[in-house]
Amino acid sequence: MSNQENLPVRLKGVGDSLWVTIDPTLPAEQLKKELARPFERLRHLAVNARVILDPGEAPAGDGLIEELGQFLKDQYQVGQVSPPAREKPTPDVHRARSKDAGNGWHYHRSEALILSGRVRSGQKIQAKKHLIIMGDLNPGAEAIAGGDIIVLGSLLGTAIAGQPDNEDAIIMALDFRPTQVQIGGLVAAGTPASGGNSPEFARIDNNAIVVMDYIKANPFKRLAWPEVR
Amino acid sequence: MDGKIIVVTSGKGGVGKTTVTASIGAALALQGKRVAVIDMDIGLRNLDVVMGLENRIVFNVVDVIQGRCKLKQAMIKDRRIDNLFLLPASQSDDKNVIKPENMTWLCNKLRKEFDFTFLDCPAGIEQGFKNAIEAADEAVVVCMPEVSSIRDADRVIGLLYSRSITPKLIVNRIIPKMVARGDMLSHKDVVEVLSIDLLGLVEMDEAVVISSNTGTPIVMQKESKAGMAFNRIAMRLDGHPDLPIEDPLAQKSIWKKLGIKMGRKKGAA
Repeated sequence: MSNQENLPVRLKGVGDSLWVTIDPTLPAEQLKKELARPFERLRHLAVNARVILDPGEAPAGDGLIEELGQFLKDQYQVGQVSPPAREKPTPDVHRARSKDAGNGWHYHRSEALILSGRVRSGQKIQAKKHLIIMGDLNPGAEAIAGGDIIVLGSLLGTAIAGQPDNEDAIIMALDFRPTQVQIGGLVAAGTPASGGNSPEFARIDNNAIVVMDYIKANPFKRLAWPEVR
Repeated sequence: MDGKIIVVTSGKGGVGKTTVTASIGAALALQGKRVAVIDMDIGLRNLDVVMGLENRIVFNVVDVIQGRCKLKQAMIKDRRIDNLFLLPASQSDDKNVIKPENMTWLCNKLRKEFDFTFLDCPAGIEQGFKNAIEAADEAVVVCMPEVSSIRDADRVIGLLYSRSITPKLIVNRIIPKMVARGDMLSHKDVVEVLSIDLLGLVEMDEAVVISSNTGTPIVMQKESKAGMAFNRIAMRLDGHPDLPIEDPLAQKSIWKKLGIKMGRKKGAA
């Protein structure tokens, strides 16, 4: 309902408060009239309610918030009126830097499922996010993950990463000889071993699954600092 | 007496479970143990034919379980080998007529009578397999050095572990020439994927086909490499677990050939 966007007064419930967005360019008298309309209908809810008056991006005139607040308190017995607590929007880079400085990952709860042992034919392992297997995944076994799959051993079975639609996911193994790999919605049949003894990984590149030498390609070398994956 | 119940299984059909069961059973009986071999492949019995006892079947395992005869009446004694007994499968019933609890009952009876009881498990992982592993103390997984056999063996190993049975592996029908050429997986490749203890390596041997068809135990033929390999597997099961496993490939070495020429025992696979 796009026409509501232009209303001078909009009201919604946020947490335990009523969030009232006003157009501060209008004169106070008109705003009071506009405020009266929804508050008249919500009289029973407004009593003792906490109200946040949000003038939006435009600067509110001096005393406008206070004046309207007093009006709401007098007319509708609302409990408390305040302007929104403003946070300066920061660009992503700044946010990441401050996170780095604060070692944000210290408070990150692990979403990886780490298993040790051998996954045998007919066994199926599912992880909501990343899956790490310290051991081998035999032919006929299946590993399914919402994020990456890392096999510290031989990957001989089927690995399905990035389910359902995470195309950034990778599948990595010290010995990469899968029957089949799937990342997001893409499927690739396993290829014969490349012969090298180094770990390899599969990722999506130009809408196709490609397999590369992990050490040579070093897919995360361009990240400026460690990130939670 | 408190004997061992050992299930011989593989997942895939045609890898040699029945031959292995008959051969190890005969070998242990020849070594002086009291041995029973039970055909669990209800509806598709074979073990009686391989052992040459098919014309002596009166009762079978289903008759015992359903109370139509006593266990002693159904057990067929081998006339060539003392202490070797066969409990044949029924050819007319279905695997579902036996329940796992019936097997627990039967195996408890067999434990009291025999040192070793071998259960020849049917192919597959359905009811017949579940029945066979229900009361087993140990398991022997038979695998051929080929990809499909390994995959099925792997599945079965997973299922055995889930029942707290630690299986041992026999790699059957190895053709050393093909392994040397690189056309067949070596037993090392098989063990690498399955990663369980190796119980023995058995070479491909024409004598096995002949002895199966004629119903004579291969382990009585001293010239047969496979027969000797089964004898050594039987020894490993019976108190000599550390008997070294000989690599069929290694026989090609010049010292071995010289040794054979100079009159040492032949066919020590």
